[in-house]
Amino acid sequence: MEDNATLVAPHADEVPDSALLVAFANGDAQAGRQLVARLGPMLFGYAARVLGDQGEAEDVVQETMLRLWKMAPDWRQGEAKVSTWTYRVTMNLCTDRLRQRQARPQVALDSIVEPAADLATVVDLMSARQRSETLDAALAVLPDRQRQAVVMRHLEGFSNPEIAEIMDIGVEAVESLTARGKRALKKALYGKREELGFEDDRKQP
Amino acid sequence: MTGNSRDDIALETLFAAGRSERPLPSGEFLERVVASADAGAARPAPAARPVVRFAWLGRVFAASGLSGAAALGVWIGFVMPEAMDALTLGGDETVALATFLPGTDLEAIFNE
Repeated sequence: MEDNATLVAPHADEVPDSALLVAFANGDAQAGRQLVARLGPMLFGYAARVLGDQGEAEDVVQETMLRLWKMAPDWRQGEAKVSTWTYRVTMNLCTDRLRQRQARPQVALDSIVEPAADLATVVDLMSARQRSETLDAALAVLPDRQRQAVVMRHLEGFSNPEIAEIMDIGVEAVESLTARGKRALKKALYGKREELGFEDDRKQP
Repeated sequence: MTGNSRDDIALETLFAAGRSERPLPSGEFLERVVASADAGAARPAPAARPVVRFAWLGRVFAASGLSGAAALGVWIGFVMPEAMDALTLGGDETVALATFLPGTDLEAIFNE
């Protein structure tokens, strides 16, 4: 893909997303299918991480793509990247859904007791799936903006300037969000130390 | 600090696992999205409209050109009646007016 090459590993001669979108606007259904194949999994992965719910992630991605089809005839090449535009729409839709959640469990991170065991030792003992599930659980307690920035930076592989464009904020603000997000993640992980096995680990000789 | 450094390593290990265990959409879901793309692409292509509009304008131009010529003839006959007399070779006013009506047989008029 033209604007997030590290994620989808495209061929060098691959048709840019924007060209596919223009072709789609001119009635080329195959171009639309290619865009779905490129963007759908990426947007879904992001939304599923941020929302923590695959069903909601599907709804958000479907809505994002419908908006993309709708505005395709007015797309101007060179003004914006298709992936950036779709990530921004997905992010905003995720934000709306997160705001609508009245009883979302939030951990008061400041009240979490400081670590009494080594996180790295515990993580080393985990399987890949356990690590991923642990990360998801910790991400779920982050403030929305921090979670979105951390997911884009460390899981989606976007650069800080790209995140700044998607979130419509400055690069320094992105750096601040991701830094605070990582600190909050560590606190959240230590807050889960019992379920993660910190206590058992400490008892081992 | 050593503790923070080890925590950062642990966090990066979790991120790496998160990247490799990326949530993937189902094939059924992607097919639904593709169906929405197909529906969008099935809209009428806008390219045919300018051609239709141009053909219609051509007919309008042709019709208005004819009416303009007729109107010009009426106007000349009104402001320069002597020229009309010369054109009708001394005939009466009825003949001069009839000369500018479409379908008039000029030869029959001259023979009168």
